[in-house]
Amino acid sequence: MSGDPAQPRLHMSGIVKRFPGTLACDATELSVRPGEVHCLLGENGAGKSTLMKILAGSYQPDGGEIRLDGQPVTLTSPQAGIAAGIAVIYQELDLIPDLTVAQNLLLGHAPATGPFVRKRRRLELARAAVDRVGGEFPLTAAVRDLPIADQQLTAIAKALTGDARIIVMDEPSATLGENDLAKVFEVIRSLAAEGRSIVYISHRMDEVMEIGDRATVLRDGGTVGVYDIAETGPERLVAAMIGESRELVRPVEGAPPEGEPLLEIDSVRVPGLIDIAGIEVRPGEIVGLAGLGGAGRTTLLKTLFGVSGGAVSARLGGTPLRVRTPAAAVKAGLALVPESRKEQGLMLGLSVGRNTAVTALGRPPWLAPRRLGRRLGAPVLADLGVKCATPDQPVGELSGGNQQKVVLAKWVTRGGVRVLLLDEPTRGLDVGAKADLYRQVRRLADDGVAVLLASSELTELTANADRIWVLHEGRNVACFDPRTAAENTIAHTVITGVTP
Amino acid sequence: MTASTSPAATAPATGPAGGPGRPRGRFGADLIVRFNLLIVFLALCVVATLLAPEFLTTQNMANLLQQSALTGIVAIGMTLVILTAGIDLSVGSTAAFGGMTVALLIDKDMNFVLAILVSLAAGAAFGAVMGGLSAYLSLPAFMTTLAGLTAIRGLTYLLTDGKPAGGEIPTAFQLLGGGFLGYVPVVGIVFVVITVIAALVLRGTTFGEYVYAVGSNREAARLSGLPVRGVITAVFAISGMLSALAGVLLTSRLTIGQPTAFNGMELDAIAAVVLGGTNLFGGRGGVFGTFVAVLLLSVLRNLCNLLGLGSYFQMVVTGLILVVALILNMVIEKRGARA
Repeated sequence: MSGDPAQPRLHMSGIVKRFPGTLACDATELSVRPGEVHCLLGENGAGKSTLMKILAGSYQPDGGEIRLDGQPVTLTSPQAGIAAGIAVIYQELDLIPDLTVAQNLLLGHAPATGPFVRKRRRLELARAAVDRVGGEFPLTAAVRDLPIADQQLTAIAKALTGDARIIVMDEPSATLGENDLAKVFEVIRSLAAEGRSIVYISHRMDEVMEIGDRATVLRDGGTVGVYDIAETGPERLVAAMIGESRELVRPVEGAPPEGEPLLEIDSVRVPGLIDIAGIEVRPGEIVGLAGLGGAGRTTLLKTLFGVSGGAVSARLGGTPLRVRTPAAAVKAGLALVPESRKEQGLMLGLSVGRNTAVTALGRPPWLAPRRLGRRLGAPVLADLGVKCATPDQPVGELSGGNQQKVVLAKWVTRGGVRVLLLDEPTRGLDVGAKADLYRQVRRLADDGVAVLLASSELTELTANADRIWVLHEGRNVACFDPRTAAENTIAHTVITGVTP
Repeated sequence: MTASTSPAATAPATGPAGGPGRPRGRFGADLIVRFNLLIVFLALCVVATLLAPEFLTTQNMANLLQQSALTGIVAIGMTLVILTAGIDLSVGSTAAFGGMTVALLIDKDMNFVLAILVSLAAGAAFGAVMGGLSAYLSLPAFMTTLAGLTAIRGLTYLLTDGKPAGGEIPTAFQLLGGGFLGYVPVVGIVFVVITVIAALVLRGTTFGEYVYAVGSNREAARLSGLPVRGVITAVFAISGMLSALAGVLLTSRLTIGQPTAFNGMELDAIAAVVLGGTNLFGGRGGVFGTFVAVLLLSVLRNLCNLLGLGSYFQMVVTGLILVVALILNMVIEKRGARA
């Protein structure tokens, strides 16, 4: 881990990568010093992933040069990348869920005598790697049984068994709660102190401010600039990411809606998971649900929607809400935008139009679904501003923001939505797409829909919700008005469960 | 009280998006997949005509249609099941059961129309039970229908202790499976009609759209409030009913019920569905591909017969054709995805 500190550990210059129809990297520059946490910022499609795939050896650049410690290298395959000391930890953690931690850590280079794995030696090596990241979980546990934070640590430990000099982390916080993130940050800091270089990709400015030393901002495939984070405010970084012409998320305006509540939740109980009581949502109101990972936001929404079992006592428009299946929930006027749009929200192989209309077809005479779908769906798609070549384009080809709008469009097309449940609707979206999505949600609310919005990003809640309920360990502990409450007060409650 | 559907109400008048903009990407790839199969099929017919002059005779054509029709009817049901990402291994046993029950009931002096209906209902019931187990208890369809394959075949043998069934069969009933309209076998017409009905159901009804939705992403379909379990149960019931129909038609042609009939039919049907371009993981494909694929496999078999090549050889060729078709589909899919 030595090296002249003036000499960059990694220097990528003039990287060019073309795909049919687009220039993903356009003379992109990235320079990372030894012992540095270097943030890589940019909106979706700015070229971050492509650049990292080139660094990993998965993609071959059409032009440019990569130097490691001053030496030019050619990375022809992921194996070559690993051999050069580059480890990329992807968001979806490429661990094998059924194998144990130790098996995963030394996958491909397990200590062996002839064909026989030396298991004790493997455990020793694995223990050393896990200790270095401060993991306290059994090495013989199957990875699928570990909490997500420990899986994240396992992925980092795996990078260490390969003795990586450059570790790339792609949005680790997307799947972590704030406590778990603190743990991962600690590990990142100690790795940097050892002289390793970390490239950290994230959309969340607060994380970048906390962990990063320097940041490189990409836009449209090119490098906009390199910033010293300690001397740069988040506004400047965001401005660099989105360019000039785009609108930022503004704090919520106007008075909260008044009147009789539309959705009255007396209690929602799922033994061992949540025990929620006394949440009300008025028509036109967006009520935010804040909390750490595992605080019960997703469980609350799923239970209300009849996805998973639980005891619900609630009223919708004064009449008791009895919902045992999603089909019944939909009939009652509930709509859910689930946590994972790819796995739960969309039929990825089907077209945009068919996804949009699928909820709206259950009406007599049950004929000509595609024509009916086009008729009902096209105006909604236009209204929400979904950008697609044609409604017949497979929805899997759209960008994340547009995909999420299609999930929303699915419910608008059906009509009759009285309560909209949103679970992490902006995960993985860029700043512009987030603002656009929330604008659409606000418009629905203005039409009289009651909205429950769960998000891990407090700034999004304070910017968009009329009220914020904080959930802590399965209970709703406090309710704030973002117009009057300080954000750090809410944040404190989120973490500790008590109002300061 | 609604989430703004007012623009939808005015939509027909203004007609946004104009005529449906013909998509190039995926739709084009679909066309090529279908077109390819048709080209291969026609080329095979030309080759067959050149190699064996007897191929293009009305007699041979009629035989060919008659032989492929029963597999074809079963394969149509199988297509629906596979579109929901399921699989039905019990079709052969259900077909044999249907053929036996109709023979036994007619032998017991039941009106043959009624006997047919009872057989079809039995097939549908078997399918509904297996599909229902898979839908409501989340058991893999592979296992429930494998259990069905064994159990229903056993039941079929139990009906007569393994002996063929039959006696006096009314002529009108015999016409159904063995009759001709001009040169066209009645079973061939039945096959075509069922294909057309299935295509209309898939493309023109809400149920058909739900079949694709469930097959494409079952969880997303459930969270969209679709009756996922009902759809799955229904496609298995349809598959069971069509299998029983194939059995009834065979009994009609042979004038007896054979408990050993349709052994291994499930594999022929699945082969035809996959060759026809329907994705085994659900959500993509259709019955016209299956229709052409059934004919193609049948022509291949017919050609081997005319050339005097044994059935062992036919098996090898059929297997190779399937592999080639799968590779071809994959290549086209990839190109379509990249475009």
